[in-house]
Amino acid sequence: MTALPPSAELPSAELSIETRGLSKRFGRQMAVDGVDLAVPRGSVFGFLGPNGSGKTTTIRIMLGLAAASSGSVRVLGEEMPRQLRTVLPRVGALVEGPAFYPFLSGAANLLRFDAADPEAPAGTRRARVRTALERVGLAHAADKKVRAYSLGMKQRLGIANALLAPRELLVLDEPTNGLDPQGTREVRHLVRSLAADGATVFVSSHLLAEVEQICTHAAIMSAGRLVAQGPLAELRQAGQSRVRLLTPDAGAAARVMAGLGLTPDGGGISNGGSAGTWGEVLYAPLPAGSAAGAPSPEELVAALVAADVRVRGFAVEQGSLEDRFVELTGEGFDVAQ
Amino acid sequence: MTRTWLRWLPAATVPAVIAAGVLAGSLPASAGDPLPAKSPEQVLELIAQHRDPSFSGTLEQTSNLGLPDLPKTGPGSASGDTAWLELLTGPHTARVYRDGADNARVQVLDRLAERDVIRHGDQLWFYNSKDNTAAHAVLPAGGHHPSGQDSVPTPDRLAAKLLAALDRSSNVSVGTDVEVAGRAAYQLVLTPRSSATLLASISISVDGQSGMPLGVEVKARGQSDPAFSVAFTKLSLRAPDAAIFQFSPPPGATVKELPVPDHKATGAKEKRGAAAKAKVKVSGTGWESVVELPAGSLAKAAPAKGAPEQQGGPGSAASLLAQATVPVPGGRLLSTALVNVLILDDGRIFAGSVPLERLQAAAAAR
Amino acid sequence: MPGLRLLGSELGVLFRRRRTWAMLLALAAIPVLIAVAVRLSSAVPPGRGPAFLDRISQNGLFAGVTAMLVAVPLFLPLTIGVVAGDTVAGEAGLGTLRYLLAAPAGRGRLLVVKFAGAVVFAVAAPFTVALVGAGIGAALFPVGPVTLLSGDSIGAAEALARLLLIAAYLAVSLVGLSAIGLFMSTLTDVPVGAMAATVVFAVVSQVADALPQLEWLHPWLFTHRWLDFADLLRQPIVWDSFAANALLQGGYLAVFGALAYARFTTKDVLS
Repeated sequence: MTALPPSAELPSAELSIETRGLSKRFGRQMAVDGVDLAVPRGSVFGFLGPNGSGKTTTIRIMLGLAAASSGSVRVLGEEMPRQLRTVLPRVGALVEGPAFYPFLSGAANLLRFDAADPEAPAGTRRARVRTALERVGLAHAADKKVRAYSLGMKQRLGIANALLAPRELLVLDEPTNGLDPQGTREVRHLVRSLAADGATVFVSSHLLAEVEQICTHAAIMSAGRLVAQGPLAELRQAGQSRVRLLTPDAGAAARVMAGLGLTPDGGGISNGGSAGTWGEVLYAPLPAGSAAGAPSPEELVAALVAADVRVRGFAVEQGSLEDRFVELTGEGFDVAQ
Repeated sequence: MTRTWLRWLPAATVPAVIAAGVLAGSLPASAGDPLPAKSPEQVLELIAQHRDPSFSGTLEQTSNLGLPDLPKTGPGSASGDTAWLELLTGPHTARVYRDGADNARVQVLDRLAERDVIRHGDQLWFYNSKDNTAAHAVLPAGGHHPSGQDSVPTPDRLAAKLLAALDRSSNVSVGTDVEVAGRAAYQLVLTPRSSATLLASISISVDGQSGMPLGVEVKARGQSDPAFSVAFTKLSLRAPDAAIFQFSPPPGATVKELPVPDHKATGAKEKRGAAAKAKVKVSGTGWESVVELPAGSLAKAAPAKGAPEQQGGPGSAASLLAQATVPVPGGRLLSTALVNVLILDDGRIFAGSVPLERLQAAAAAR
Repeated sequence: MPGLRLLGSELGVLFRRRRTWAMLLALAAIPVLIAVAVRLSSAVPPGRGPAFLDRISQNGLFAGVTAMLVAVPLFLPLTIGVVAGDTVAGEAGLGTLRYLLAAPAGRGRLLVVKFAGAVVFAVAAPFTVALVGAGIGAALFPVGPVTLLSGDSIGAAEALARLLLIAAYLAVSLVGLSAIGLFMSTLTDVPVGAMAATVVFAVVSQVADALPQLEWLHPWLFTHRWLDFADLLRQPIVWDSFAANALLQGGYLAVFGALAYARFTTKDVLS
């Protein structure tokens, strides 16, 4: 599979993050290889990829933590890492899990990180820390030592750290890691409200469901390369559609389909009793777009009926993002995590 | 990447700058005002007209005699009878204060310790911080008295002795001007005419203004570093604070009263000295002189100065002597860069700034 | 001043750590141990044990001097090694380094603040030994005029000033080691490694300083003048060693500071 070009060529001013030919080499291994990311302003951008596909390295380079081997990065329109000092105060980040001083309280940790930001006004520091803690539901544990925090609490504290100041861009690496379903819902809600305030939210995840639920755009990384990116709807469409056929005459149906150039998957019967009553389920992928010689769904039904196949159920199924992901990365998705 | 390169630039530059600074600092600084040219006679005159001044300064002494380093820490370090030997080995720093002829103080700055000699009028004090002992003596008025510079020879004292020993055997010249303790100085160089001596040269730096000797450097043949040197590193010709010469023994110190050298004692000493002198024979002249001490002198050779005696032990003079000498046919040889001492099995001792063969020849001649 | 605020935050983190207080307590235990041991034993003969030990029973202020003398070769470098070696590597080990840099603390600024924190500890450590020593000495022994190395005596107040001056001398002495620790700390994400390397540096330097074969190297060793604080116990004070020591430590600070800067500003933070 080859990388798709960005669906729409946006001017750089409209992009919160833009990388060109970004590569990072560790020894002889390319961790990031020629990545051209384009994250539109105001989008909730899902950054997908299996573990080890180069997501976190890309984020580190974006934040100036690591230097690119080649290529360029612009964040909020400014070149990184040259404009690091003016850019980063406008960016909130959660990178590769939260990290805190275990011997300090949650609030003291946030005060410490806020003091490291030269642009953050000292006068409002305590108030901003309290607000951020309230926003992630940690106000009650503000004075507890982080040593005593659960994984989920640390995750929330990490998000609170990203929210210490008004941000134009939030980079959240695996934000729902370690959170219970309730916490996950809260984060989703938080991301939506941040986006509603006009911030760009860049969410990296290996959890597809998360991205599908909250993102407007997505990009997929695989083995250091960017294999797809664009608005979520376009990504889904680019996936292969398939027909689902329920019929007692599976053998005849398969022959008709094969005659039309399709490759039916006869093994897809799994509905147990109901399949026995009504027949078998056959799946066949539909070639993308209007490839030459490919039948349209209605032509297929007509052909089946003409061949005396009893069509008891027929549907065209839109490819899911998961199919698309598996198709692009060649890897199964660790949905359960 | 250019930026990476730029960031390493200071790390590369700083050592280079430090190296350059050290090199520049170690280069012999050219005296700002070149001194008017003087002949050796004129320089000697300049020294001769120099009178006991008031000054305070810091002396650095280095020795490279080829003697084993004495232990400076641990048991047996610089106990009373080896303290004098210890001054011959390794580097030392001393502060010297002098106000006229009657007030002087020398502080030998040891590591974590100090040895002081203070003279205030007729009061003479010794103090050793290591064992917190003090010794006191009252100097007889008008008599010959040891001045406060016995422990560390100050340049003017040393230069006077050396110049007194000058005779036809030496080539005296004035070398290029040097800078000592930040002052421009003449350098009087004495080179032996004889080749049968261990000494290569003796240079005395003389302050161009006051005529005060500022440093002495003795070089041995075949050594590039001076075998012995003592020189001021800091010098101020202003009179030091009078409080420096005030000394009273600290509470808790062991104070030993030294016998007052009255006339009887001096007389007796002179008699003893004369008796000893009768036995000491000198052969050869000038740089080649060989001194012969009769049998039995060695036991007296270790003077004990104002400190409790500690005989035996790893740090004692006797054991150190055994360590420092090597066996040669007929006896043992104590070989240093400047002096060879031949200790014959029969107890006679031959010493001189000459090679071993000369000492053996002198011993055989008897 | 954002830099000062970050320094304040740094000191807050340093001194809210139990480890920091444990080390200061351990240092404070040295004079206490010495003073109590001297108090319980019979008179110490001069020339036995560490220098000045025999003076403690006569004057309590010497407990501070003796304790500093005892702490110089190992205990002080050990604690400095822990603090300086932890500066960058400790943050990297916790993972907090990436959040400080993303804040953005600025790499140069963070390095300066980290070093300043280590230096504050390098000041606190000898002063702890000196003041606790003076306190316990005053509690267990008489305090009166103090005999200097030169044999002169000074009053208790001036003696206390000299004691603090020695602590200041030691603080300056530890600047070079702090800079070495800072550089070591930029080399690794494992703080224990940087700490150990720093302490090893101090020990090796002292061993080299004791070998006469390496005499040409001695003036260049950062530990070479550590014991010269005794020059502050002479009358009048020899300031030369204070100045020479400051210059030496400044040289080490320049070299290892530049190395640390180069390494830290070009390094990929991957922890």
